[in-house]
Amino acid sequence: MPADISDQALDFLLARAGLDLSDAEKAELKTVYAGIAQMAERVRQPRGRMAELAHVYNFTASDLREDPA
Amino acid sequence: MTAAIPTIAEAARLIAARRLSPVELTRACLDRVHALDDRLHAFVHLTEERALAEARAAEAAIMAGGANGPLHGIPIGLKDIVDTKGIPTTCQSKILQDNIPDADASCAEKLAAAGTVLIGKTTTHEFADGGPSFDLPRPPARNPWDTAHFTAGSSSGTGAGVAAGLILGGIGTDTGGSIRGPAALCGIAGIKPTYGLVSRAGVAPAAFSLDHIGPMAWTAEDCALMLQVLAGHDPRDPASAAHPVPDYTALLGTGIKGIRIGVVHHFHEVDYKVTDGVRSGIDAAIATFRGLGAEIREVHLSPLQDWGACGSLISITERAAAYEEWGRTRLRDFSERVQRRLMLGALVSGVDYVQAVRRRRELRAELHAAMAELDVVLTASQTGEAPKIDEVPKWDTFAVPSFTMPFNVAGYPAITVCAGFGAGGLPVAIQLVGKPFQEPTVLRVADAFEKATPFRDARPSLATTSLPA
Repeated sequence: MPADISDQALDFLLARAGLDLSDAEKAELKTVYAGIAQMAERVRQPRGRMAELAHVYNFTASDLREDPA
Repeated sequence: MTAAIPTIAEAARLIAARRLSPVELTRACLDRVHALDDRLHAFVHLTEERALAEARAAEAAIMAGGANGPLHGIPIGLKDIVDTKGIPTTCQSKILQDNIPDADASCAEKLAAAGTVLIGKTTTHEFADGGPSFDLPRPPARNPWDTAHFTAGSSSGTGAGVAAGLILGGIGTDTGGSIRGPAALCGIAGIKPTYGLVSRAGVAPAAFSLDHIGPMAWTAEDCALMLQVLAGHDPRDPASAAHPVPDYTALLGTGIKGIRIGVVHHFHEVDYKVTDGVRSGIDAAIATFRGLGAEIREVHLSPLQDWGACGSLISITERAAAYEEWGRTRLRDFSERVQRRLMLGALVSGVDYVQAVRRRRELRAELHAAMAELDVVLTASQTGEAPKIDEVPKWDTFAVPSFTMPFNVAGYPAITVCAGFGAGGLPVAIQLVGKPFQEPTVLRVADAFEKATPFRDARPSLATTSLPA
């Protein structure tokens, strides 16, 4: 993940998020982008495709007792 | 009563013995509110009439049949992101200024059923996020030890209110340290329980998988008394744990001889160097624990920054999801600080989030292994004493790594207790972490520490010198 972001890429991400920012706010946001990029690198470890995420889903006893009707 | 501020445990004993009137106790707290809260801003909404009615009802019930538990007649506060039936719950936001819930949050309901007296809704950072903001309907809370300084947040009003004796205990919420931060900087005790132990139902979300609800009070013993009422399965919270609720006071006072404490020195000595005051507090705490018969060991975990990256990416994304609709339609109605937090959500991709959640599983496994031969882990709680309130960085997500976030990532129980005072005369703290659902051990160790040290003897001078006789 690159440590900086182009104006065009930032505009795309903000538009997708539905956030309408001023030019000054965009400039400020660009100054912290490197911090997000650094975090994104830190959570990427050599782990292979089988490594599960922490939030797993399973059925609880109450799920199984539910009356489908 | 005048300036004397009892703990919950002390007040409970006196109330049960009919030597302390809940009405007098409530009036004393309200007197302190009226004398001090124009400087502290611990409350966003007072419930004075309700408090006096509840105190009178408690008193009548106790006189007729005795107290129904140690919280009967005890004045408390609820953080203003906790729903309260018929009472404004604004989340300190312009967006919810007219919000009056039609039902209590689970934690509010449990505390009311235990006979507590609600003094009011305590100040929070907006939606439990963002930091001290001056562009909200109410000002941020101030630190009772020095009102020019920050309380930390987001449970800022509960922290200030407990320290100054406006309430004897209260509810905080903790997504990355929002119970333990104010507890540390305000010099009180605050426990973030195991994830799922206390129901989140009826509490505004900050980040669903990191959010915890817990008690804040002057002592660990008081936290234990409150946790006893708060813990337990609640089907209204999908993350609620179906785990037996033990007696959280059973091990208090039994000593800690043979307890194995692992110290994560590299967190505060290498990963981020804390102030001399915090380091002295930690070193003295280790010596105290050793003197009490505990066995001290060294623990190595992944760097603090790894835990912080994992927690921050999850927090940023889950918060952006929770508040996406208002972010799109009412962005300018949030404080500037929360606007910035919501903007960050646009920069984190879905894959980033999933990689963070995969990392979370690894980090939790790492902590599980590291604690296999330990009872508790000891770390710093904060980097230093409370900063000036106008010197808190606006992008604090990136300013310094958090010592508390690792245990939101792991979901493990963690308490912060006062470990002395730094060069500026403000409190410093330690953090004690236990294994999942081992709150009795965490509270036992914290209680032993408090009772072996003099730090519970002194309240902020503002709380004891500014009151009418």
